[in-house]
Amino acid sequence: MQRNEKTWLHAVFESPIDAQGALQKLTEYGFDSNDIEVRSSIPLEGLYPPDLHVRSHVPLMAVLGGIVGGICAFMLTSLTSQAYPMETGGMPIVPLPTTGVITFEGIAIGAILTTVATVLYECGLPFFRMKSGPLDHYLAEGQIVIAAFMRADEYSDWTSKAVATKRQGPHQPPHSVTNVKGV
Amino acid sequence: MTPGRMSREVPLFRPLTSWRPKLILGSLLAGAVAALLFYSWGYQVRNDIGVTGLNRPVFWGFYITNFVFWIGISHAGTLISAILRVTSAEWRRPVTRCAEAITVFALSIGGLFPLIHLGRPWLFWFMIPLPNYRGLWPNFRSPLVWDMMAIGTYLTGSILYLLLPMLPDLAILRDRHIADNPNSARARIYRFLALGWRGTAQQWHSLESGIRALAVIIIPVAVSVHTIVSWDFSMTRQPMWHSTIFGPYFVVGAIYSGIAVLMVAMYLLRRGMGLESYLNDKIFNNLGLLFLTFTLIWSYFTFAEHLTVWYGNEPSEMAVFTERISGQYAWVFWAMILLNVALPMLVLSFPLGRKPFFTAIVGVGVLIGMWIERFLIVVGTLSLPRLDFTVGTYQPSWTELGILVGSFGLFVLLYLIFVQIAPIVSIWEVREGEHHLGQVRPASEHLTVETT
Repeated sequence: MQRNEKTWLHAVFESPIDAQGALQKLTEYGFDSNDIEVRSSIPLEGLYPPDLHVRSHVPLMAVLGGIVGGICAFMLTSLTSQAYPMETGGMPIVPLPTTGVITFEGIAIGAILTTVATVLYECGLPFFRMKSGPLDHYLAEGQIVIAAFMRADEYSDWTSKAVATKRQGPHQPPHSVTNVKGV
Repeated sequence: MTPGRMSREVPLFRPLTSWRPKLILGSLLAGAVAALLFYSWGYQVRNDIGVTGLNRPVFWGFYITNFVFWIGISHAGTLISAILRVTSAEWRRPVTRCAEAITVFALSIGGLFPLIHLGRPWLFWFMIPLPNYRGLWPNFRSPLVWDMMAIGTYLTGSILYLLLPMLPDLAILRDRHIADNPNSARARIYRFLALGWRGTAQQWHSLESGIRALAVIIIPVAVSVHTIVSWDFSMTRQPMWHSTIFGPYFVVGAIYSGIAVLMVAMYLLRRGMGLESYLNDKIFNNLGLLFLTFTLIWSYFTFAEHLTVWYGNEPSEMAVFTERISGQYAWVFWAMILLNVALPMLVLSFPLGRKPFFTAIVGVGVLIGMWIERFLIVVGTLSLPRLDFTVGTYQPSWTELGILVGSFGLFVLLYLIFVQIAPIVSIWEVREGEHHLGQVRPASEHLTVETT
């Protein structure tokens, strides 16, 4: 490996406290959110680089989706009811109470579909070309993986025990993994 | 990973990592019973709807009874799961997945029955908002069209509500299988199903926002579904159908039967898959109390419905009422009261009765009782319409019985297949619960920790 070639350094942590410590050290060394990735099998509040702005537009998009869905449903019922000249004996062609039922379902399906689409978009899914990292099986066991993007000559003492891998490189067998603990 | 958690999670992964003879045998048996549905349906399609016992005035028989019953069962999962999520009930964590799966499969089976009832299922597209070959559009004033819209929305929402929180678990399975053998079929399948989930902070944040939003949206949808199913009846002027409380009465009945099937499913999963540490006595006790609450609410609605009819003393209503209380349907009606009121109250009122075995027994009883309730509503009224010269009776044929039995087989088959594909207990949610309980140190602690 070239000394100035950038690689992802992966490390696995059993407890969130250890992971938080490593994250803090990385930040102190000048790494920012572009160079650090924290992954876990459960949501861990606050365990991400301080400059990373984690946000979601799901609630807003759900409301917008609901509005669009409702308008579409109302138009569907009203336009199709008027498309055929049905004799209703003076009763309204587009009665609001019955149209309301369909509109309600339209609001719901619009909000549901938009919510799911927004989640997938924000998560960057589907991403079928994703390659597994060398320590991903530890994630499956409930541990936390922190990856830092760095040059080989940036390695310090605490990183020397870890396994360096090419960015999104091929999967490596578990026996080559070294845990980095006690930062 | 702590050794305790590792050993506790073993039963969860067992059916997902290797073929389990018991599950395969169960699937084959369920498949054989499910085949009865398709054979009977095929026979009916070939020989036309005349092979059923349906005739004037009882033109809705077993099929619509089954439709209402299965749609009711579907309220087990998504609605209960959503309510428990919205209220942040911690004990929900091992329950949600097995409940949500019930919804998807029960709703799919429930949705089959209008197709079966049509006799000519290929004309089903008349219900879809497209002009048919006579130039007519669906009549949006009809509750049957509302049904289709509501069930379509609920089924779509329920499938997504089941799949979305499953992504992290599918990624766990992917990572496990890749570690074992990256080229195995299971590794490939889970790699595809996990959609590339990585478990980053942004992904978790978005997923949790999405699950919360879906939970909030799905609750009114679930309520609307069974309300609209009730409106199929109450929007007519038929005796004992034209009732203002039918909407909430049906919703309560749906949740009641939903909890019943959940209790039975949880008991069987616990016994069959060794999930005692997840589906523990505390969860059965809590759900048992919820079950008892719905026993009381359903009993109240049933009493209110019948008292109003009796007090009103309107002849056509009383004809149906009398047949139900002391006529040809009396034994069925009182069996329903025994199973839906007396049995749950007697058993679930005591802590011992809220143990897994007893709650499952009550669950089976309530399921039978709720099916009877749907039968009484559908057939009881139709056999005694307002115009008494059309009074008639109804005897189901073997085709209808075959389809009824087959529908249970199909449900069990779908559920067993699901159990062999996805973790029936949400792994990440349970782990998160342990994290919150302090079995793993909470996040707020490690934010302030000093490192050397």
